[in-house]
Formats: sequence, C-alpha cells, structure tokens
Amino acid sequence: MTRSNAPNPSLAKSSLTPSRRQLLVAAGAGVAVSALGAPFVARGAGAKLRIGMPTILSGRVAILGTSSRDAATLAVNQFNASGGFGGREVELVVRDSKGQPDEAARVTRDLVNTEGCEIIIDAEASSGSFAVNEVVGDLGVLCLHTCSETSALTADPKLRKPTAFRSARQGIHDAVAGGKYAAELAKANGLMKWMTCSPDYAYGRDNTAQFVEYLTIFAPDVEVVNEAWPKLFEPDYTAYVTRVLQVQPDAIYSALWGGDLVSFLEQANLYQIFAGGLQWFSGGLADPPIVNALKQLPEGLHSVFRYDPDYPDSAANKAFYKDFDAISETEPTNWSWQTYTAVQFINQALAATAGNTDGMALAQEVAGATVDSPFTESGTITMRAEDHTIIDYPVAWGRSRPEPKGFQDWERGDWEQILTMEKEWKQRQGYL
Amino acid sequence: MGAGLIRDLGFGAAALVFLLLIPAFGGGAGLNDFLIYVAAYGLLALSLNLLTGYTGLVSFGHAAYFASGAYSFGLLMQSGEVSVPVAFVLSVGFTALMALVIGAICVRLKEIYFAFLTLAFQMMFHSIILTWVSLTGGDQGLMGGIPRPVFWGIDLSGPESFYAFCMVVFVICALILRQIVQSPFGHTLRMIRDNPERAVFLGVNTYWAKLLAFVLAGAIASVGGILLALFASGAYPEFAYWTMSGQAIFMIMLGGSRVFLGPLLGAALLQGLNHYITGWTEHHGLVLGIVIVVAVLGLRRGIADFALDWAQSRRERRDAPADPAPAVSGEKA
Repeated sequence: MTRSNAPNPSLAKSSLTPSRRQLLVAAGAGVAVSALGAPFVARGAGAKLRIGMPTILSGRVAILGTSSRDAATLAVNQFNASGGFGGREVELVVRDSKGQPDEAARVTRDLVNTEGCEIIIDAEASSGSFAVNEVVGDLGVLCLHTCSETSALTADPKLRKPTAFRSARQGIHDAVAGGKYAAELAKANGLMKWMTCSPDYAYGRDNTAQFVEYLTIFAPDVEVVNEAWPKLFEPDYTAYVTRVLQVQPDAIYSALWGGDLVSFLEQANLYQIFAGGLQWFSGGLADPPIVNALKQLPEGLHSVFRYDPDYPDSAANKAFYKDFDAISETEPTNWSWQTYTAVQFINQALAATAGNTDGMALAQEVAGATVDSPFTESGTITMRAEDHTIIDYPVAWGRSRPEPKGFQDWERGDWEQILTMEKEWKQRQGYL
Repeated sequence: MGAGLIRDLGFGAAALVFLLLIPAFGGGAGLNDFLIYVAAYGLLALSLNLLTGYTGLVSFGHAAYFASGAYSFGLLMQSGEVSVPVAFVLSVGFTALMALVIGAICVRLKEIYFAFLTLAFQMMFHSIILTWVSLTGGDQGLMGGIPRPVFWGIDLSGPESFYAFCMVVFVICALILRQIVQSPFGHTLRMIRDNPERAVFLGVNTYWAKLLAFVLAGAIASVGGILLALFASGAYPEFAYWTMSGQAIFMIMLGGSRVFLGPLLGAALLQGLNHYITGWTEHHGLVLGIVIVVAVLGLRRGIADFALDWAQSRRERRDAPADPAPAVSGEKA
C-alpha cells in the first residue's frame, strides 16, 4: 500500500501518532484479518452427509428461517435416529442469507464449495430462491426449494433446473382453490362488493391478481370496488382500515402475511370492522404463530391452510406437532411442513440411490416420487415429474375461531379442478 | 512512462499473478468465490473513495451505479443480441451517462446537500427497478440467469476461467483508479477537497473536475456490479438499496480512506467478517457491530490509515537527530 492521499501531514503528525493501546488494537485486527482465511479451507466430505440450508434467520421474516430450520432439524434427527443411511448420518448446515439474494447465492456456493454440502435445501424467500436456483443450476447438486410460492420458479421451463425441485405450495394452486372457495361463499351470501388489501410488492400484487382472476371466473358478478396497497412492513395501517370503513365492502381479500397481517388485524380490531359481518379472506392467516400473535382473533375469518395440528386430524400430524414443539421455540408454520417434506423426499431418494449424492441421480429419484405425509388429507404428497413441484398438498380453506384461537371447518380443495385450471393457465403463460 | 506508472503496473502485475496462482496452490472454490465477492465490492468501495476520500464528496447513493452496471449487463446478456465484451462496454457506458446526468445536478451542491441528493437519486433508481416489473422483474430481481456465451475463447461458465476473468478485470480497474488519483487530475481533486476556494483562484473549474470524478467513480462502480451480477447470475433491487451504499461507506471507514487500497482492505474485512460470523452465530449483526465499533473507536481511523500513520511516526522517530538536550539538562542541573 502506498500513501497517496494525506490531507496535511503537518496536522496529521501530532494527532494521529498511534499510541500503545492503538497498536494493540491494530494487532488484534491483524490477527482477525489472518483468521478470515480459515473458513475457506475446504472441508472434504466426511462420514456425515452434509445438507446445506441457506435461509433467513435475521430481520423481520426470521420466523421463515427459524421454523424451516427447526423442521429440517427434526426430520434429520429422526432420520439419524432410525440408523441414518447405511450407518452414515446426515448433518444439517444452516446459513443466514439475511434475505439478500446475492448473499443467498454466495452462501449457497459456499455451502457446497467450502462446507462440503452435497444437497441444498433452499429455505429462502422468492427472490433468494431464484438466486439459489441459478447457483444449483451451475453446481448440479440436488436442491429442494421449500418456501418460494412464486409459480414461475418451477412452472416456467426457461427457469427450471434439472436438479431443482419445489417442496412448497404455489400461487396458482392457491388462487384456483381460493377463488372457488370465495366464489361459492360470495354467491351463497351475496358478497358482491369486494376490496383487496395486499402488500405493495411483486408477491402481493401477483397473488392478489390471481385470486381476483379466479374469483371472477367462478363468480362473474363479483365486483372489486377498491384496492389498497400498503407498503411492505408498514407499521401503521390506520389509513387502510378507515378506507375499509368508508368503502364498506362485503368482503376483503388480503395477501398480507407475517407481522404485517398481525398489525393490520390488531388495528382493524380497534375499529371493530368485522362486527358488521365483513368477510375476510386471507392467504396467510392460518399459521399458528400468526394466530397466537393476535391478541384477539375475530370469529369467521377465512384463510387457506398453512398449518394446523388438528388438520388433518391424524396421529402422524399430532406426533409431528409434538416433536416439533419439543425442539423449537415457535409453533410449526407453513414453511415447517414444507421443509420437513423436502427432507422426506431427500431421504427417500438417498435410499433409492444407495447413497449416491450425484445431483442428477438423486433428481431422477425425486422426480415423480411420492412420500407418506402427516400433512395431507390423502396421507401422501407427490413430486410431479413434469415440472418438479409438489401436488396433492393441503389447499383447504377454513374459518377462524376465537377460543381456543385457531381454525376449523376446513374445506378440502378440489385437486382435479386445480390441475385442470393450472394447465390452462400454463398454456396462457406460454409454459406449455 | 513515469516511474510511478511503471511501479504501479509492476505491483498490479505481481498482484494479478498472485491472485491467479491461488487456485493452483489449493485455494479451493470457496476462496475463489470469496475473492470474486471482495473484488466486486472492492471496486464499489474503491470507486466511492475517489469521491469521498479524494474529492471530499460523500455520496450516499453510489450503489445506484453498481446496480446500473448489474442490471444493464444482465438485460443485455439476456437479450441474446450481444457478446460479453460488448455488453460490458455498453453497461459501463450507460452507467457513465447516468452518472453524468445525475452528477451534473448533484456536484453543484456541497456536503450534506450533496449526500442527500445522491441518496434521493439512488432511491429513485431503486423505485424504478421495483416498479418496472416487465423489464427488471421488480422485487424478484432479474430472473432466468445471465447467459455467459464464449467470447475470444473464454468460457465464463467454467469456475476457473470466471475467477481469472474477475481478477483480471478487478486489477485493471484498480490500476485505472490508481492512475487517476496519481495524475495531476487526482491532485486537483485533493486540492478541491482541502481548499476549493484556492482551487478556484488557481483557475481550476471545480464543477467540471468534480463531475468528471463523479462519472469515473460511477463507471468503475458499474464494473463491480457486473462482476456481482455474473457471480450471482442475476441482478436484484437490493443492489440499488441505500444499505448497499452504506456498506461501501463502512468499508471505507474500516479500511481507511487515505491509503489507496484501504477501501479494498475494508471490503475484504467486512465480507470476511460477515462470512465468518454468519457461519458462527445467528447474532452476526451484534458481533459485526462490536468489531466495527472497537475498530473505529480504538483506532479512530481506518486500519490502513492507522498502519500508515504508525509507519510514518516510526520513520520520523528513527530519522530524528540524536537528542541534543544537554543544554536543557545542564540548565536543570
């Protein structure tokens, strides 16, 4: 390094001469710099099979990462407790991408290249998932996306990667199921005047547009009279709540989720907007941590299934809930069952390849595979081979109950109709 | 060819050889990735320091040019109409033009007004990325990957050739920046920083000088964005968010602004700490914050600046004549 930029040496000399203490600090900094090289010494594949997991563990959507991580940990622990794979245990290596897509790409590369991970579970939000998708396309390792609901990730053949799969619900499936459910209620109860209130970013707008599209297909007389687009992570929803009072719609659809949804409903409760029979349809309310975060859960709000220990009402689902509760500080979320399911697919594929972790070999086993599932009405989930995405997962809609806080009266989605309409949608998008 | 240029070229060549030899000595793909990452962010920080450290213009919106390079390069490559070198040149040219337009407005202002106006333009650029979904992909980013067709026999799909490409581009850009700051123009920038009135009295057109520095810094930042877009195989709105500019300022604070490679040291430190601490604890923000606070409060300047001052004071003590204090001693005695 060469000095080139000193402003005024005569001034700098007296005030900037380092003291002994500063020298010690500098020495410490030097040691820190040297130590930075240490993590990049690649770890060879040891006795344990390492599965890397880039996710979001910090910030406002940290629950996405923590509830995914805990579910993966549970599944891996169960796998190892059952003897692992031919005596070879699985180890989960989780890294925080902080929700930054470029960081997600770097972390994923690092998990494979430095940490020696042979499989990736991508528990990123959508933009991070697209970044991870490109990286696994380069690296050729098996990857299961467990959180992104953006349909294009797997539906668009230009984006699809041979070794990447989605073990998560997707927008088009929920739109068809939700549109039909809402349309039937609208026709039965005369809910003709609708309003939307969704976060102002790509997911919020796309999700809402698709819901409205299918709502109006199933109930052509419905009219959307107002749209509200609060910013993502907006703290004050008073303006939107008062707009609801002014517009006085019969029903609202909202793609708000997480803390935003809690904030909106808490503020809406203050104005008692549900007291007059306003119907609320939500794409993200039925996650247990969200429900429990609400001081007061009004009765009769509608939400698509996210996770419910009582639905399906099976011993396997209750066992999952109990086991998850034993290792996690939060209750299971939608992302939890999706991540747990991803590990199930991985374990099954590893068994089929006799431990061969080659990306393409594993991908051949995951494509078209069916696993037993505690989370579905049918007891299984299938990874559709043609576009690497799961089907037959729960797309039920239910109604809220205040005490004990939760959801009930789940109405199972019609997968036959969903698949038919999904095919038409793909044709319209040019994906088929 | 001046002695300074020869020395810098020699230093650059040696650094390039060293960087290119790292994979041969078992550096591993993980280290290569890290160095590519540091190179991309290093160019962002080094170019910002041309404004902040050398010209006295603290820009809070420098990431706009970083993102501009990433997006324009990604879009051009996705169009399938141009080769990598052509897309590279067009992206840098587009960003330079953008910097020229924004700079023409901003450099008229001083200090906090300049800082906030650059921030305002950056946030406007960020908003355009978010809202122009059909072009940029909105908050999902530029999806579909960035194609890397072979050019001049170079295949960037291979990790080794991609690493070598990034290192060569980085060293060339660093050398260009170095020549800028060592040139009479670079000294003019320092004069503008230290005493703009004197610069005006000496006949310097400070507006055009600052504007040229602004454009050059933006163009070099765009190269960093191109490298990161190629690395991440996409471009994302986070590249243009104010936190990205904040990171660049942190890198300069940590590494130092008075030594040419100080910001690069800061970039390596910040990214290295980020990498190391993220793998160690989920509370990385807390740990990283403590490290930075200790460094800033303990050294009260960037690490490279500290090392420079320490070396200088050592040299001065060594060169000082033997203590001619007998008269004083005698007086005391």
